[in-house]
Amino acid sequence: MNKIKQRTLQDGVHFRSVQDTKFKTFRISVNFLLPLKQETAAANALIPFLLSRCSSEYPDFTQMSRKMASLYGASLSSDVGKLGDMQVLTLTASAIADRYALHGEALTAQLTQVLCGAIFSPALEDGLFREDDFRQEQRQTLADYNDKRIYALLRCTQIMCAGESFGISRYGSREDVEKLTRRQVTAAWENMLRTARVEILVMGDVDPEPAAQVFSDAFHKIERCCQSRNEAHSFGRIGDIPRVTEHQDVTQGKMVLGLRTSASQFGETELVPATRLMSTIYGGTPNGKLFLNVREKLSLCYYCSSAYNSAAGLMFVQSGVQFQNMKKAEQAILEQLDSVKDGCFTDDDIAAAKLSMVNNYHTVGDSLPALDGWYLSQSLAKIIYTPEEYADMIGAVTREQIVKAAASVRLDAVYCLMGQKEGNAE
Amino acid sequence: MNKMQEVHMKRAGESYYEMRHPSGLRIFVFPKPESHSTYAIFGTSYGSIDNVFRRSDEKDVTRVPAGIAHYLEHKMFENEDGVDTFVRYAKTGANANAYTSFDKTCYLFSCSDNFYDSLEILLDFVQKPYFTDQTVQKEQGIIGQEIQMYEDDPTWQVLFNMLGGMYHNHPVKLNIAGSEQSIAEITPELLYQCYHTFYNLNNMALCVAGNADPEKVLEVCDKMLQPSEDVRVERIFEPEPDSILKPCIHKKGSVASPLFYLGFKENASRRATAEETVQTEILLEALAGDSSPLYRRLLDAGLINESSFGGDYLEGPGYACVTFSGESKDPDKVAEEIRKEVDSVRRNGLNPELFEDAKRTIYGSIISGFNSPENIANSMIAACFAGRSIAPDADAAADATSEDILARLQKQLLPQNAVLSVVEP
Repeated sequence: MNKIKQRTLQDGVHFRSVQDTKFKTFRISVNFLLPLKQETAAANALIPFLLSRCSSEYPDFTQMSRKMASLYGASLSSDVGKLGDMQVLTLTASAIADRYALHGEALTAQLTQVLCGAIFSPALEDGLFREDDFRQEQRQTLADYNDKRIYALLRCTQIMCAGESFGISRYGSREDVEKLTRRQVTAAWENMLRTARVEILVMGDVDPEPAAQVFSDAFHKIERCCQSRNEAHSFGRIGDIPRVTEHQDVTQGKMVLGLRTSASQFGETELVPATRLMSTIYGGTPNGKLFLNVREKLSLCYYCSSAYNSAAGLMFVQSGVQFQNMKKAEQAILEQLDSVKDGCFTDDDIAAAKLSMVNNYHTVGDSLPALDGWYLSQSLAKIIYTPEEYADMIGAVTREQIVKAAASVRLDAVYCLMGQKEGNAE
Repeated sequence: MNKMQEVHMKRAGESYYEMRHPSGLRIFVFPKPESHSTYAIFGTSYGSIDNVFRRSDEKDVTRVPAGIAHYLEHKMFENEDGVDTFVRYAKTGANANAYTSFDKTCYLFSCSDNFYDSLEILLDFVQKPYFTDQTVQKEQGIIGQEIQMYEDDPTWQVLFNMLGGMYHNHPVKLNIAGSEQSIAEITPELLYQCYHTFYNLNNMALCVAGNADPEKVLEVCDKMLQPSEDVRVERIFEPEPDSILKPCIHKKGSVASPLFYLGFKENASRRATAEETVQTEILLEALAGDSSPLYRRLLDAGLINESSFGGDYLEGPGYACVTFSGESKDPDKVAEEIRKEVDSVRRNGLNPELFEDAKRTIYGSIISGFNSPENIANSMIAACFAGRSIAPDADAAADATSEDILARLQKQLLPQNAVLSVVEP
């Protein structure tokens, strides 16, 4: 894979690129990182969605869409994410490379202009986001989740991390979204341009230089004052762990166990690769302990897997369980965790988990969204690793390190979603 | 000649290789030497709709319970030596999976290293069925859970309710996993019978895309493939009228706001060609894409939302329909607007600018599709089983004319064949 090139355009504005003609397309993402706070989360979250709808040059959704269609189905999309205790507001543009245009159009140059226009000169009315656009996006954000699996994970995170920045939904709370005003969101946009840490990633079959120039010029017109991050935090639970059961119209129950690990970007960073590997052995693949035992041997769950969030030091086990089996499933899931803590896994298990992870890291470079996500997720890290370097670090993890990583894992919340008519799982 | 034929696609600047192996298997290899990853898919032209069939060496028609193709897929991962297939893959580091759709069952893996070892595992386990009473019994709980999960999913319900209103007889209206009752009838004998009928290499294909060499793929195939007897299988469907069964299906479900599917049934006595499918995509984009007047009207009236609305073409053996789906506070009104728009395009033709944009959008998506070995391999196998190829796609989009697109309307989007399915809170 071609090397990543990085530079700083100005204080707090970072530009990274990977130029590679094996792709048929290119992708430019502009990411604004702001501290995740309850009082600002909702207003911030609306910004990227408002910006990607239209701009002063393409002042309504249809004109913007037509421009995108004429650029061979280019896309301009927006997203809100979380990276540890930071809220990440993203605008992404992508299109086929110039060489595939049927009539020699300069797709890259045109799309860069559209993206830049969307971020820096949105369609405003009296200096505020327009009422119609604002209401559309507010309504969109309020649309309820239909996916119970995602909903259950979200609820578990909120319950476990109540009072911590990790527990704040990336969209803010429902009540906060309902109370938003255009004035608040417009002020949040101005604040974002001025104070957010900015990560610009340009990748694929593209010459990054013209894009760097366009964004450098645009940010130099703004008086910047980069905001500092949240205070480092510590956590200690006093008393019982929270257990919440909710009832909705579902025929299959969902159970999410929230767990804490000691390794994260805030502490014991050196144990992060071992913790990742531990989570993979525990329940990261169809060859993991959770799948083979809780699903296959005991037939307790339709799905059962673990995932580790290294930015926050949290691990979640998600499962689909019949209501009457929840207690049994929780017990079985925790028994498997104990067996990992006791080192009850073979060298073959370690080798298999390593191979699977190394395989994943090696394929990151084949997909522009994956590559973009890879480098974005390391925005806050002190050292930036390529996927290949990270694969080598995973390869070097020892059995002792895996057991050490597992030793610190403890259950910290249990969330169950059950049907309307069912009783408790006991 | 035991040689692979090169197929070059000029506009995309890509080539793939294909052949029919002496064992009967059709093989496609799409090399991407700069890619780290490789994706392989080994599939049979056998899916949830194949519950009635006749083998070319038998006189009688065989009927089997609904959901058996999917059940068989689950059971293929168990082996006589007791070692689960996932455990075998764990030694090569590949990510393996499988899926069953209406008309095919596919086994696949992706990997970055040890590709040829993983390919051996794939070709080996799919050629070696092993079922016992005990292992078949055990699966009923897991698949029962899976069926429940689908029943929980309103996006799934709303689609199947539409298909139920559309098809009098065709089994595309049945749940892919079957029902808890139908899977209770499944025995090892039935599984073996279906296996030996449909997992005949003449009825299968292997597609590889990514960092792989066609000659080496062929070497592994030569080593691993057991020649199949030349038995063909005939899919048998009860005659399906062109008409629909029920124009409107409203049901209650677990949703925050109503979900809908509006489908237009069309005659499916033969499979669509590559050109026809691309033209249908352009038509759908021009009618209901992001920059279309219809989309704008629906959005302005607050009838749809941006994230959920879309059009699709569902096409397979004996079934075909254009669909529009999404979330809406008033699905009946959305359906009416769509019908009006189709009618207007049929009478007045397409706006030339809109047609050009729609054509570019579809061309762009075909070119982008060549980024992904996964997408390439899945497209190749789908095209192969449909009697098509992926080779003409980019040209079909680039060369499409407004007349081609309008001609689709003679057969597609007929107002008398519309079915609206709604799942409401």
